[in-house]
Amino acid sequence: MKIIVGEGSCGLAAGAGKIHRILEKYIGQNSEDISLGVAGCIGMCFLEPIIDLYTENGLLRLVKVNEDNIGGLLRYLSGSDESSLSDLLISAGDAEFLEKQTRIALRNCGLINPEHIEDYLAAGGYQAVVKAVSLPPEDVIAEIKMSGLAGRGGAGFPTWFKWEAARKSSGDEKYLICNADEGDPGAFMDRAVIEGDPHSLIEGMLVAAYAIGCSKAYVYVRAEYPLAVKRLQTALDQASAAGFVGKNISGSGFSCEIAIKQGAGAFVCGEETALIESIEGHRGMPRLKPPYPAQVGLWGKPSNINNVETFANVPWIIQNSGSAFAALGTAGSKGTKVFAITGKVKRGGLVEIPMGSTLGEVIMDIGGGIRDGKRWKAVQLGGPSGGCIPASMADTVIDYAALCATGAIMGSGGMVVMDESTCMVAMARFFLDFTAKESCGKCVHCRIGTKRLLEILDRIVAGQGRQGDIDLLENLSLEVKAGSLCGLGQSAPNPVLTTIRYFRDEYEAHIQEKRCPAHECKALISYRINPLACTGCTLCARKCPVSAITGKVKEAHTIDEQKCIKCDRCRQVCKFSAVEIF
Amino acid sequence: MSKWIQCTIDTVKCKVRDGATVLDAARACGIEIPTLCHDGRVDVFGACGLCVVEQIGSTKLIRSCSTPVTEGMEIVTDTPRVLSSRKCALELLLSDHTGDCRAPCMLACPAGTDCQGYVGLIANREYLESARLIKKILPFPASIGRVCPHPCETACRRALVEQPVAIAALKRFAGDYILFNQPDTPAIPPPPSGKRVAVIGGGPGGLTAAWFLAKSGHKIRVYDMMPQMGGMLRYGIPEYRLPKKILDMEIEPIRKIGVEFINGVKIGADITLEEIRNGHDAVVVATGAWQSTKMNIPGEELQGVIGGIDFLRNVALGTSEVEGRRVAVCGGGNTAMDACRTAVRLGAKEVHVIYRRTRKEMPAEENEIEEAEEEGVVFRFLSNPVEVKGNADTVAGLQLQKMKLGEPDAGGRRRPVPIDGAYEFLEADMVIIAIGQSNENTGLETLEKTKYNTIAADASSFRTSLPGVFAVGDATNAGADIAIAAIGEAEKASKVIDAYLRGSQAVYREPQYVKRSVYAQDYADVEKVPRSSYQVAEPESRKSCFDEVVSAFTEADAVAEASRCLECGCQDFFECKLLNYSLRMEASPESYAGSKRSAQSVRSRELLEYNEGKCILCGLCVRVCAQQLGISALGLVGRGFETVIAPEFRRPLDTTGCIYCGQCAALCPTGALREVYPGVKNVPLEEEAVHSVCDGCAALCGVEYRFAGKTVNRVLPAPGTPALCPQGRFGFSAELAKLGATAAVKTADGNIIEIRTENALKAVADRLKGMSADGRDRQRAVLISERITAQEARAAVLFARFALGTQRVYAFADCSKPLIGAQNIPLREETVSRLFSGAFYESASCWFLREKLGVGRFRLEDAERFDTVVFIGGHPDAPYPPCSFKAVLAADRPDNDFDIFIPLCPAPAKDGVFLRSDGSQAMMRSIPTLAGPDNAQVIRKLAECLAGRPLPEFDDIDKAVLEN
Repeated sequence: MKIIVGEGSCGLAAGAGKIHRILEKYIGQNSEDISLGVAGCIGMCFLEPIIDLYTENGLLRLVKVNEDNIGGLLRYLSGSDESSLSDLLISAGDAEFLEKQTRIALRNCGLINPEHIEDYLAAGGYQAVVKAVSLPPEDVIAEIKMSGLAGRGGAGFPTWFKWEAARKSSGDEKYLICNADEGDPGAFMDRAVIEGDPHSLIEGMLVAAYAIGCSKAYVYVRAEYPLAVKRLQTALDQASAAGFVGKNISGSGFSCEIAIKQGAGAFVCGEETALIESIEGHRGMPRLKPPYPAQVGLWGKPSNINNVETFANVPWIIQNSGSAFAALGTAGSKGTKVFAITGKVKRGGLVEIPMGSTLGEVIMDIGGGIRDGKRWKAVQLGGPSGGCIPASMADTVIDYAALCATGAIMGSGGMVVMDESTCMVAMARFFLDFTAKESCGKCVHCRIGTKRLLEILDRIVAGQGRQGDIDLLENLSLEVKAGSLCGLGQSAPNPVLTTIRYFRDEYEAHIQEKRCPAHECKALISYRINPLACTGCTLCARKCPVSAITGKVKEAHTIDEQKCIKCDRCRQVCKFSAVEIF
Repeated sequence: MSKWIQCTIDTVKCKVRDGATVLDAARACGIEIPTLCHDGRVDVFGACGLCVVEQIGSTKLIRSCSTPVTEGMEIVTDTPRVLSSRKCALELLLSDHTGDCRAPCMLACPAGTDCQGYVGLIANREYLESARLIKKILPFPASIGRVCPHPCETACRRALVEQPVAIAALKRFAGDYILFNQPDTPAIPPPPSGKRVAVIGGGPGGLTAAWFLAKSGHKIRVYDMMPQMGGMLRYGIPEYRLPKKILDMEIEPIRKIGVEFINGVKIGADITLEEIRNGHDAVVVATGAWQSTKMNIPGEELQGVIGGIDFLRNVALGTSEVEGRRVAVCGGGNTAMDACRTAVRLGAKEVHVIYRRTRKEMPAEENEIEEAEEEGVVFRFLSNPVEVKGNADTVAGLQLQKMKLGEPDAGGRRRPVPIDGAYEFLEADMVIIAIGQSNENTGLETLEKTKYNTIAADASSFRTSLPGVFAVGDATNAGADIAIAAIGEAEKASKVIDAYLRGSQAVYREPQYVKRSVYAQDYADVEKVPRSSYQVAEPESRKSCFDEVVSAFTEADAVAEASRCLECGCQDFFECKLLNYSLRMEASPESYAGSKRSAQSVRSRELLEYNEGKCILCGLCVRVCAQQLGISALGLVGRGFETVIAPEFRRPLDTTGCIYCGQCAALCPTGALREVYPGVKNVPLEEEAVHSVCDGCAALCGVEYRFAGKTVNRVLPAPGTPALCPQGRFGFSAELAKLGATAAVKTADGNIIEIRTENALKAVADRLKGMSADGRDRQRAVLISERITAQEARAAVLFARFALGTQRVYAFADCSKPLIGAQNIPLREETVSRLFSGAFYESASCWFLREKLGVGRFRLEDAERFDTVVFIGGHPDAPYPPCSFKAVLAADRPDNDFDIFIPLCPAPAKDGVFLRSDGSQAMMRSIPTLAGPDNAQVIRKLAECLAGRPLPEFDDIDKAVLEN
């Protein structure tokens, strides 16, 4: 029997390491026949730690395994029947989460051991690179062109076009760079791929390097992903030892070295020219384009930069043909896309679906809808650079053009789901706060413009909004988009513009009525105790950190608004829903 | 060879080399695209976003600094979208810009006279320049300096330290200086415009308009009802405050420039507005406010009751009888003070001032009140006249209601409230009512009026309701104000009227400047220096005559007082590109007002000052330091809005590789990085650029001296010179000696006399001839500084051979030691080669002298061998300082004690001596580009003078010299 413990960052955070040690100890003492292995994240982060049991009867998937409930598993391993696993087995509903997906980039994630190249080879790994180097580079590019693969980092630029541009650029020395500087809050697709299936990234890069004609590649990965860095390094070492990375790959005469470059966690370094500056050892600040990296890139040489997910798709395309990939998706957007669903959704995690699925399908069907019986209000796509789409547009299909038309973007795959308790102004402020801080400071529109937008949003959520602020926000947003140097500034106002577009009434309520409809903005709400509902249990008064609540036992309590710091503690502890927000 | 490609920019067809950017192309065809962060000396950066343009067929704004031109490209540079984006960038920058574009004193001046500028010039002893600067706006500095209530001083931030700078007194000092030291500068007559302008009213406003309009070439006629020009300055200000002689002297240039004065003609009585309009292309109404405000109390019509300004006018006309009378003056303003003090001087028996509130609330100047008290004026506070009592039809006294102070009014002054039943009677036989003044509109009935019955004149165009009729000063809008306000309006109006006469609709717009708030603690470190005091005549001596009470500053006091200026206004005002663009595009600092970064300023080695609040992060300093100098002392630190320019880890600049070449400051588009020159008041002024050669070493780098008057404000690399070393940039402290067409010559008896240069030349020749003729067999040699130009060195060799008959030419040359580095700032070899780009060893260096001209090395012990040494390029005060060009004749002893030295440069516009920061003295000179001989020619001339024949060209004898 084989036991696989899901040990991506999410699994480890949920306690998979401890579970692994318990199992290791148990197997060491009791059974030599059981092999214990690890895998990366399978995407169901909400169910971690996850353990896959490969039994004679097939796969048994155990979820939310912890020290308290692992006894059932140990009993099963000691010979009990499957009923001892009943509390641990994945429910049919949760199992749908995977069943409704189409996994290409994530095809091996959570299934194979990322630290064993043998697992990858067994899954057909490195066949694509062997196949590719037997073809003329032009044919490889043609296959990618056929697939319709576009940049998964967010911009959606056709991958073949970039490869061809880099290939045609003059010069002997060229560079290939993998952008693994995943910086969007709420996005972890790249991390999951590197942690769960690093070889597919390496293989994708090798194919690209061959197609472009370069022999030196970098993976620019953020230092905040230590596990990913470690597994990638292990994978690189193994691939080198196996002859897939290095000199004369597969006897073809093609050579390629891949090095890891750790980034220090600046959001702007996800912008390709800033990333290049960073690899060169400079401050991460975008360069002017033109010239584009395909002409003048790293160290002044032609360079091609693709995102992790883009590369992870490449081996599959080479093996299964471009047309197989292109068979999935819409007219303008081919293949699949990975999303990291987070926020108020029931099932949060990684989802890979074919292009053309609707937002509603992803959020309601795969994500299982909203937690705590609340209403779905909106979804933020593309992180701080993206936009906010209201629930009323759930039928919007996932397609580069269709998403753009809403004011949002496809983005790298961040999908933050919001319910009715989310204030859209505060939400826009949150993202602006992020981009304003992450602006590299180079260009005026981004450096000062985002700061000014943030200040306006600050005063609106603080109840100090002025007449004309919405117009000011819109006008300045458009100027910042048009005047900024790189994608960070060009897209930073998107959350503001889309929330104004779809939730203008919320802005107006804040500014004109000094009211936050979602009851989120502290300056615009007050807490009161409904005397009819209050039983005088005194719990709230005891929990209040500033002693703002008074009242006799078994009599209705009251909140002193002067003292109240709106920490929400009373409302959270009240068992009778007597604490209300106005 | 790259090919030519064609593009279109704003309909202009433009042909450029392949690889050129849109910005290059636009510049090549004369289309201006603004940019703050681009400079050809460094790589493209693209930060400021000002250079955006639109390309036909593209939806995006493109940055012209980085976009290469492609064949057939069509660019538009001035679409509404482009202009809006540029303006937004500027307004965002302004919203985070901390500083004062202009000093608060200047902004407080209703006329906007450049107080900081003229005060600073006085501190630098540039008195004439100071007066000229004032006169750019204000034609009467000596008069206004005496009488102005100086709102500038009220705004002066020195008050936060101890007391404001005595700006008005300094203005008077400069005004007097130019009157008495350069009274008559013949003005160059402007080209006549053929237009005629009438000015109605010869007061400060009218005369100012006349002056500036006349200077623009228009034919001006001033009508005035009084016998002489000057208006209220003459008839409203007593002689003891403003001597008529000073006023006359300041009005005289207006007549001299050709303005026609017509006195004794009153509009409405002697001539109509229509008649004046018919004879002129434009009319300026500046009739002032000549009517005393009435109190509207019983008895005001009695004989002996007179308005304050009426009284003063009568005194000026010599028609007032005051002697022996008891005078009561009603009012607490400056006119009341003028009236009471004038009454004292005219021999009044007693003089009372009646004022409703207390002394604290009096609007008059404090010193006026004090001086009136000293002169025996009796003040009756909290007294309100309610009736003038009469004896028959003449005044007998005033019935006064006693008052107390109540609640403050809207203006913050406590309101006087009558005390019920408390009255007092003051005996008086003359009552002067000085509570205000208003205008009378006789003859101006056809002009539209305001609700105050003043002439309605548009604030930005100065137009009235009648075409071609403009109006300024007390007669308009808000009514009576101080003289400088009328002058300011007139100066602005004269520009608008000039434009009108030339067919343009230009109007005056208030420029929007960045301002900052300061507090006393900001100046906690400033050393307290008390305000210089000026002499006031003793009360006993002054009260019986009309001699001027306040005497002018002495020169030393004026310099000391001016040196107290805190230099609030931005030093970069005249060069700041941010301000320049902002004014042109009418960008407002308020559009996106928000929080600002910290605005601390750091000085480094007292040579460079970095002001964070003014930095726009264009990155030019960072790039020039890294790319041109290879040093990278500066970088961008931090992220987002808080990003600043600083050395890494924000350490002091001294700990970096900075060599103080000042290149960062030279490229800075704002006042964020500035050179500091110790020993000179840094004054933002329109500087005069003079190109010359640095005399710091033999590399002879091109320098641009920036003069304000005769003071060198800064030294910059001349156009074409990539950068200067610290010696060139900061190697002097700009203590500048006076210039001129004279030279100092030491006579045989040891006295130094000044002679004109051409005479000096002759004197040198004569002296040399004399020595040749004394019959002794002399050993002669020429000693030259290696710091002279190649041409000059060649001429010196010719001089030796043909004038002195010797082949012996020496220099103190030592090629191995280039003299570089101010304040011992070490330069690495790589930096040296970058700075001098190889030229150092190629120019008229030691190497050149030795190898090309055969000049030998001179040692002091060699001096024993010669009894005559002509030292060319040496300096009289030190054995061997680096210096500019002089010829020194040293008879018998080649030591410091020379007989004659003259600057050979033929009286160029800008030569001078200044002190280096190490204390040595140096001369600078301009390269004579104008007509006239250069130094090399002067040496040749001197040689020809001695030899008595023309000299051959150097090339012909080059070989011969070398063979010797």
